[in-house]
Amino acid sequence: MMKRIKNWIFEVARVMRRELTLSLTDIGVLLFFVVLPLFYPLVYTLIYNPEVAHDIPVAIVDDSRTADSRQLVRMTDATESMNVIGYASDMAEARRWFDSKDCYAIMYIPADYSRNLGRHEQSHVEFYSDMSLLLRYRAMLMDLTSIQLAAGADVRTQTLAPLGMAASSMSGSPVNNVAFMLGDTEQGFASFIIPGIIILILQQSMILGITMLGGTSRDRRLRNGGTDPLAVPATASASVIGRMLAYVFIYLPLTIYVLHFVPVFFSLPHVGSPLQYFPFVLPMLVASAFLGITLQIMVKEREMSFPVVVFTSIVFLFLSGLTWPRYAMSWLWKGVGDLIPAVWGMEGFIRINSNNATIFDNSDCYLMMWALAAFYFLTAIWTTRHLNRATRLRRHS
Amino acid sequence: MFKGLGHTIKRELSRWNSRRVYLWGMILVPLAVAFFLLDLMNSGLPTQVPSAIVDLDNTPMSRNLTRSLGSTELIKISDHAESYHDAMKLVRSGKIYGFFVIPHDFEAKALSGQTPTLTYYSNMTYFVPGTLAFKGFKTMAVLSSGKIVETSLEGYGISEDAAGTLLQPIVIDNHQLGNPWTNYSIYLSNSFIPGALELMIFIMTCFAVCEEIKRATSRQWLATARGSLTKALVGKLLPQTVVFTVIGWFLDVVLFRFLHFPCGHFGNMMLAMPLFVIACQSFALVICAVVPNLRLSLSLCSLTGILAFSIAGFSFPVDNMYGAIGIFSYILPVRWYFLIYIDQALNGIDIFYSRQYYMALILFFLAAAALAPRLKKRLLNPVYVP
Repeated sequence: MMKRIKNWIFEVARVMRRELTLSLTDIGVLLFFVVLPLFYPLVYTLIYNPEVAHDIPVAIVDDSRTADSRQLVRMTDATESMNVIGYASDMAEARRWFDSKDCYAIMYIPADYSRNLGRHEQSHVEFYSDMSLLLRYRAMLMDLTSIQLAAGADVRTQTLAPLGMAASSMSGSPVNNVAFMLGDTEQGFASFIIPGIIILILQQSMILGITMLGGTSRDRRLRNGGTDPLAVPATASASVIGRMLAYVFIYLPLTIYVLHFVPVFFSLPHVGSPLQYFPFVLPMLVASAFLGITLQIMVKEREMSFPVVVFTSIVFLFLSGLTWPRYAMSWLWKGVGDLIPAVWGMEGFIRINSNNATIFDNSDCYLMMWALAAFYFLTAIWTTRHLNRATRLRRHS
Repeated sequence: MFKGLGHTIKRELSRWNSRRVYLWGMILVPLAVAFFLLDLMNSGLPTQVPSAIVDLDNTPMSRNLTRSLGSTELIKISDHAESYHDAMKLVRSGKIYGFFVIPHDFEAKALSGQTPTLTYYSNMTYFVPGTLAFKGFKTMAVLSSGKIVETSLEGYGISEDAAGTLLQPIVIDNHQLGNPWTNYSIYLSNSFIPGALELMIFIMTCFAVCEEIKRATSRQWLATARGSLTKALVGKLLPQTVVFTVIGWFLDVVLFRFLHFPCGHFGNMMLAMPLFVIACQSFALVICAVVPNLRLSLSLCSLTGILAFSIAGFSFPVDNMYGAIGIFSYILPVRWYFLIYIDQALNGIDIFYSRQYYMALILFFLAAAALAPRLKKRLLNPVYVP
């Protein structure tokens, strides 16, 4: 019994050593295993690093032409998100600016704007905004709300002061309200999306590399009459475990780089403890490795990993709930997402990294990833046996 | 003259027959991704954000506020937390995306003019639910303070109408052009579905061309086309152009006619689709000509195809990117297609304003025509580099 266990461990070690050699000497696999995790996070962060949409060009059509309307325009121009590019003589001219992309929004101040204020009637201002990018719209909307409140408070003070009412109680607001943004305090786009993306990069690059290794091995079998001359004879379980250990071993330094140094380089939110997030992503790496080995069944040659795997990144990005939250998904997509290690990994890591949560807070994610690791271990064994059997059959025929 | 072309097309179609990857990459994946995105975001906006309330006051006024908050469209009060600390724990475990705190003595202070403070916390690590929660909380906080002002003003003898006006003397009416519902599916599906189409066109073009080099069948391929590289490439890629264009048109019909996503000029969108498909094929062909190696060209196409989703400015505006980065968005066909979509479908403006975008798509084809002859030498001496 002891001897069998010892033999098994030796088998695992031999498989691991061979897989490390195969991975580290294959330039195509290295591109996925090393270059992708090294540079993709940098490229992504550089794209999104300006963080917010600012100084969006806005055209003004001012039919009021009064001190009040000019005050409103000055307030608009002073916001972070908007930049007044000029006064158009009428809506038709503003529309031409809009169509030629000289501005992305039009503010129309009607002729009765100032008059209504003087008469203590409500004044309406029309704001037309382009909806091609919600980020732009969102930035402008937030500032417009503040303008509306601030300008309104000014008017209230002016109206009520002559009546002799206490300015503090009436002109301002009887109830203060203070908003706090958690996690991504500056509401930056890179700070929001990068912590999730880097986890997805880890899983996807690993699966791409593993499926490429699998396809290459099948190419070798095809050339060598059904046997892969570089494969180490081992039982399915030893082979699967050995390969998984090799991949996780390669990914350990990269994981430290991606999860710790990338947020530090770009001063993205990074408040979680390394003692929380490194142990947290370990089951995701293990599950991804087994998932990759399982998917080898779909990759019949070296280059087939591209058409089979690459597009899944988009699907997984959406399944993770980063753009469309998981609580609003139908049971079908939620269920599909449940099967993806990175979906749980992203959810938990984002909260650990940006909200300073612990593994304990995210025990459901953590346990689910171990459950997926166990499940994909079984499927990986099945795939390995199936591929070996197919090879043996071909040899006999 | 057309003899070589016909044979090449026939040869290509029989290749499709024997390789399932063509069916997979040209038809199944684009349709599946489109179905996935459209079904996922079917409801338009993920309202009813799970949120918590921390009511430290427990008075009729605070309970009223809680009820009003729970009855809004945006917020779903899924938890009543005892303290800030408990609510933060719920945020950290992902059960809620924000919470609203009503302080001690809220009612007493509000009625006696001592200005209590309502605080609310939105978890911005998830942008959409965080923003929606923020919006719901803010509206409620402003409304509740407005209500108190109104009551007091009326107490001073100001008429109800005048009090209402004084509460909000200036109103900025927002008109969201093209997408008045802030529908997320309209916003994301219209960019991500063409993005996925571009990715698969890149991959399948490289695959079809460079596989001939890997399997050393490229000489036979050229021979079928009577030695003409043009005929060989057209014969190989034209069937793909047709399939991808038909898929693209089908998706246009689904988006704009079946789901009624805003579309000002349907015809102009249909016109853009074949140009877009050919531009994507040309882009991939240029990459094949520069690196005529199956694995490398596929790697490059996959990298750019995936980066396109970010760099083409679907979510973050190109104007606000660093100049040195943003400029790369313009080498991607999907960027131009996206600009055409904004003009012709979403805003429905005159095609005059989009003329350069259509021209840009055609330029891709010219670039490929100029660079493709480099391929011929490699096709005549196929060497497989793994």
